Amino acid sequence: MNKPILLSRSNIILFIIVLALVAFPFVMDSRTLTILVTQILIFGILAMSYDILLGYTGIVSFGHAMFFGIGAYCTAIMLSDFESTIGVFIVSIIVGMLIAGILSFIVGLLTLRLKSHFFAMLTMAISGLLLVVAEKWRSVTKGNDGFTFKAPEVFKDRVIFYLVVLALLVIVFIVLKRFVSSPLGRVLIAVRENEQRTKSLGFKTLYYKVIASVVAGVIAALAGSLYAVSLRFVNTSVLTMEITLDALLMTIIGGVGTLIGPLVGSVVIESAQHYLSGLARDFPIFERWIIFFGIIYILAVIFFPKGIVGTIQTKYSQWKIKRNQLDVAPLSKSKESSK
Amino acid sequence: MDLIISLVINGLATGMLIFLLASGLTLIFGLMHVLNFAHGGLFVWGAYAGVFSYAYSGSFIVGIIVAILTGLVFGFITEKLIITPVYGNLVQQILITLGFMLVLQEMIKVVFGPNVVAVKVPELLAGSWQLGDIIIIKYRIFIIFFGFIIFGLLHYMLTRTKIGLIVRAGVMNSDMVQALGINIKRIFLVVFMTGSALAALAGMLFAPYSGAIYAELGMEFAIMAFIVVVIGGMGSFQGSLFAAILVGLAGSFMAYYVPYLSLAVNMIIMVVVLIFRPQGLFTTAKG
Amino acid sequence: MMTSLLKLDNVNTHIGQYHILQGVHFEAKEGEVSVLLGRNGAGKTTTLKTIIGLTPASGGSVTFLNQDITKKATYDIANLGIGYVPEDQGIFGDLTVEENIKVAMRKETDESKEKLEYVLNLFPDLKKFWKKAGGNLSGGQKQMLAMSRAFVNDSRLLLIDEPSKGLAPIVIEKVMEAIVEMKKQTTIVLVEQNFIMASKIGDSFTLIDDGKTVRNGAMKELIEDDELKHKYLGIG
Repeated sequence: MNKPILLSRSNIILFIIVLALVAFPFVMDSRTLTILVTQILIFGILAMSYDILLGYTGIVSFGHAMFFGIGAYCTAIMLSDFESTIGVFIVSIIVGMLIAGILSFIVGLLTLRLKSHFFAMLTMAISGLLLVVAEKWRSVTKGNDGFTFKAPEVFKDRVIFYLVVLALLVIVFIVLKRFVSSPLGRVLIAVRENEQRTKSLGFKTLYYKVIASVVAGVIAALAGSLYAVSLRFVNTSVLTMEITLDALLMTIIGGVGTLIGPLVGSVVIESAQHYLSGLARDFPIFERWIIFFGIIYILAVIFFPKGIVGTIQTKYSQWKIKRNQLDVAPLSKSKESSK
Repeated sequence: MDLIISLVINGLATGMLIFLLASGLTLIFGLMHVLNFAHGGLFVWGAYAGVFSYAYSGSFIVGIIVAILTGLVFGFITEKLIITPVYGNLVQQILITLGFMLVLQEMIKVVFGPNVVAVKVPELLAGSWQLGDIIIIKYRIFIIFFGFIIFGLLHYMLTRTKIGLIVRAGVMNSDMVQALGINIKRIFLVVFMTGSALAALAGMLFAPYSGAIYAELGMEFAIMAFIVVVIGGMGSFQGSLFAAILVGLAGSFMAYYVPYLSLAVNMIIMVVVLIFRPQGLFTTAKG
Repeated sequence: MMTSLLKLDNVNTHIGQYHILQGVHFEAKEGEVSVLLGRNGAGKTTTLKTIIGLTPASGGSVTFLNQDITKKATYDIANLGIGYVPEDQGIFGDLTVEENIKVAMRKETDESKEKLEYVLNLFPDLKKFWKKAGGNLSGGQKQMLAMSRAFVNDSRLLLIDEPSKGLAPIVIEKVMEAIVEMKKQTTIVLVEQNFIMASKIGDSFTLIDDGKTVRNGAMKELIEDDELKHKYLGIG
């Protein structure tokens, strides 16, 4: 399936999409649209990081928001307390990723030994705890009211920020793609398929699961940093369950274990959210757009557990097999007739 | 002294409400190995359905009955539509019940409106008694009483009736129960509906206690119930009572003495229990 | 002529992705003790589980009392009159002996009370520990409780998985006597590693290897066939 050559068909398609995305703000001169697409890309990064957990390792975490929130707060606090420069911005991202990495390492080490439902509950609780801390620690976080801060001067131009986010997304995508197709990534997939057996083959599965959770946590922090800058504002909502749910919805609806899927999910959910809340002015039912997603999500879990991308992939490879069979079939028939 | 008594009463009342929520959760988990993340949704649906019919009819008892019926109906729907299709697949179960929680919560806003709803204590249970220096709020005593009655009833059902016997046997070994000729799926449904009805009842009783209800309440209380289920031991009915009272009391005392720690303390208890004693505080380890 | 009560025809069973049973066939005749023999991991336990429907067959057929039960649910199969005693006995540890038996007794008719009386005479220990938790019984007592529980459930056929496992020789003796006694009332399919025990109480045998039936026959034939015993059971 994965051809080693760089110019395989799927890579060409991806390359064209990236080119289109680069060209997009110059063609479509719309501030709202640029902001929307930036948002899509940021949540795409978050959803991809979630896919490392759910899709590749089979871990259900309900606390992913804590890493996102850590990134967001790190960047916001450092940009408002120090100078608002690119340098500080970069350092703040690194600091956020570091803290998220350390926290996810500790949390993972303590909790990943537990069965999946315990883990889901624990992550929910720990992330809830962090939210409480953030709300009470008002001297730093300003609680639920949050605070605004100045973004680095360069980012005044929305297009430049958009391009930076796009570049980071491409880098994250390539790094994660490498990561999951490395030997280490294959062990993660083995853990997802059958943890007991992977263990009995001599792999310390806890160790691999912790690595997955650190990688996911670090990338989520990056997404959080970008998110804060895109809003130039932060409050405790970055730590709430909603963020985790967004990542979860995007990953499930887009397709788990594909990396592309979460990106598609981000496009679907962010743009639907945008347009449906627009519709809400005329039709109040759309204020509750999340219901539609909830229902679609439930149906997806039952009927399309592979999501949009996964389902397309399966259908495509089935179609390919069928076509190959058709190519072969006449041959065998002629053989039979010659007998 | 008077302070301690009123804190104890507070803690017991909260504990009892959490117990109602957690007992259903723990039984469902014990029997079906399903951790129902949508359990809090049933709590909040019970609260809203009950409160609205209480307001409409003027009778608190009607409110309670409607809440219980809501729980039963929603329990039936949840079990059939949400749990059964993914039965046996742990990851899908976790994902789908959380998704359903989301839908239940948002549906509240569609059906009953997104605003906080104020609730009054029924006249008969309003007010307080004064015993010397101690002021005892009637409604809290009512909740404690009601909670113990429900506990007694459930305890009786579990230990003295045939279906209770089957449930207890099923928690230990559900395959063997089937091999003895019992349709365990029907038992699942009964337990699930009962658990949901208890959650809805807890929601209804909570409404006048707090004075206001809102859609996100379900999630908040569900987390408390999870904590209790973990501390009490997954699947342990009695454990959930002890743990609920412990969490209720801890919450009440903490809220008074160290308010900024009150929420955190229970979560810390849970984290510690899960890490060091995942089978819970009130159960013996099983091989 | 004795009629066949239970018949397995080319039964295949998958557990997850593993193809455990790949063609098991045998018949259990009314009033007989049929013994399933074979090495560890040959598929004997899975065969019993497939009959009772805990690991349903993916191919072939299971017939009981001339009814196809291959696709039936476990509780339906049990209600047709098949009792199951698993390898680990499946005792409900926190329930008393009385409660363990009560779970199994669906209706308290005169007949079932008679059966209860019968097993309690067979295993007086159970009467003695009537109010004791099942988990606190000794291994032999657990085995007896599990057998009684399966028997009072109105069973025409008992599936018993390795009753001698982990028991002291003197207790094995007792369990064997009980099986011989129960045979007067019901039909038994037995999984047994202990060939001496199996050969004493078995009427017919089925040899299973790698998930397939390799030989069926009367127990006498196997006792005399040293080559077969050596090849599949590693004895003789």
